[in-house]
Amino acid sequence: MTAATVSAPARARDVLTSEWIKLRSVRSTYLVLLSALAAAVGIGYLVAHADATHWATMSAADRAAFDPVYDSFSGLGLAQLAFGALGVLVISSEYTTGLIRITFAAVPRRRAVLAAKAAVLGAVTLLAGELAHPGALRGVLAAGFYLAVMAWVGLGLGAVIRHTAGAITAMVGVVFLLPTTIHALPAPWDTRIGRFTLDGAAQQMIAQHPHAGYFSAGPSLLIVAAYAAAAIATAAFVITRRDA
Amino acid sequence: MIEVCELTKRYGSAVAVDGLSFTVHPGRVTGFLGPNGAGKSTTMRVILGLDAPTAGRATVNGRPYQQLTRPLHQAGALLDAGAVHGGRTARNHLLAIAASNGIGARRVAEVLDAVGLDSVAAKRVRGFSLGMKQRLGIAAALLGDPSVLMFDEPVNGLDPEGIHWIRGLLKSLAAEGRTVFVSSHLMSEMALTADHLIVIGRGRLVADAAVTEFVEQGSRHDVVVRSPRGGDLAGLLAARGAEVTAEPDGGLAVTGLDAATIGDLAREHGISVHELTPRHASLEEAYMELTRDSVDYRADLPDYAGKAA
Repeated sequence: MTAATVSAPARARDVLTSEWIKLRSVRSTYLVLLSALAAAVGIGYLVAHADATHWATMSAADRAAFDPVYDSFSGLGLAQLAFGALGVLVISSEYTTGLIRITFAAVPRRRAVLAAKAAVLGAVTLLAGELAHPGALRGVLAAGFYLAVMAWVGLGLGAVIRHTAGAITAMVGVVFLLPTTIHALPAPWDTRIGRFTLDGAAQQMIAQHPHAGYFSAGPSLLIVAAYAAAAIATAAFVITRRDA
Repeated sequence: MIEVCELTKRYGSAVAVDGLSFTVHPGRVTGFLGPNGAGKSTTMRVILGLDAPTAGRATVNGRPYQQLTRPLHQAGALLDAGAVHGGRTARNHLLAIAASNGIGARRVAEVLDAVGLDSVAAKRVRGFSLGMKQRLGIAAALLGDPSVLMFDEPVNGLDPEGIHWIRGLLKSLAAEGRTVFVSSHLMSEMALTADHLIVIGRGRLVADAAVTEFVEQGSRHDVVVRSPRGGDLAGLLAARGAEVTAEPDGGLAVTGLDAATIGDLAREHGISVHELTPRHASLEEAYMELTRDSVDYRADLPDYAGKAA
């Protein structure tokens, strides 16, 4: 019982180690990562291949607007869902099984648990993003960061909603339904509001040529980051105020 | 040591725990008894800092649980054996919990061995029986070699061998000077395991006593006497200060004198005795009597049985 001599940084490392073991010791993590990679690489390859085939017949304007990095990220749509689901599962699986009580009894500082989960998710996701898209550094980093944001949004929603299905549904709403609905608005509102959606901002963050009416890469990155920050902050707020 | 002081926990308008106070001392097994829904699990969750009390407080080794640094070294708990991720192996489940408190793989191997799960350590928990999950939960509680241990209904789902094992484990943990707090809704189980009992009903304290005291406090005990000269004997016993009531079958129920004194008295007066039986209320009966008023749902016998005929 030498607990009193333990320093705070060592404790943070302990919680990180614990969450890393949890993440790497369930099959769902690998399934999600594999399916995301398959979708991102596979669809990205197909779209890039189609572009290359049609290059000879493209008009000059199409060639000028051609964005190989953006197009090769076409598979991101499925990948982002997979990473969001991974983020949800990392905490919702603990709530649905009751494991969260063991976790919080072992680490009563619940926000430290949330932070450690966010950290290991971020590390794994950035790494996976890099593996999926070697080269084209800025776009690749942006794509990796975007996938990490998806995982963090999932984590935040999972912590707040505490049910896997509910949290994933909420995520689909934020990622797909909201942008689609806003996209259907009459101009100029489709872009004026659309540039603030996660999907809209993420596309500008990744693309090499920004679309008209949208923010450039820098502000778009901040908007994307704000979604993750909002989700995690809400989770951090409620997590200590509710019974486990 | 666990101290619970004026603890109240409400969920909306429902009161789960109502002004509960007790202390669980080290060196003995303390049973935490009450009918289902009496507030046992809620109390345990509050002790572990999982649920916030509406009023009052609970401390472990003198401090609120949330203030403990690396709490697994102070207190270990098994709340719900099913609280595991089915896709994780037993070893990885324990490794993850252990790591959060700076406990290494060697200790994980030790506790797996101690609960008899070393041969299935690499198997996914999904395939475990409830009894195996109980053992895994106990292994997790033992990880930090804590001085305080809490188990919520640990014998549920165990086979007879497992039940025997856990009784021995609880007693040996207490013999090592640890605080051992075990909940159950079965008095018969606690009678075999616990040294001390805390009984609650509807979130309130009903009794806090040693198991031996509990029987006396909870119910009378008497001696049944049968004699061909019952009337004479009843007079003699009453003259000695005993309370004598006639049983429906002709025997006498005597309280206030023990069987030896009654036998000697009958012999002195030449009264033959055909039966002399000390009757102790079983722990089960004492428990039923104590909690009779605090059971939320009771099966009343239907009174229309005769009308149907």
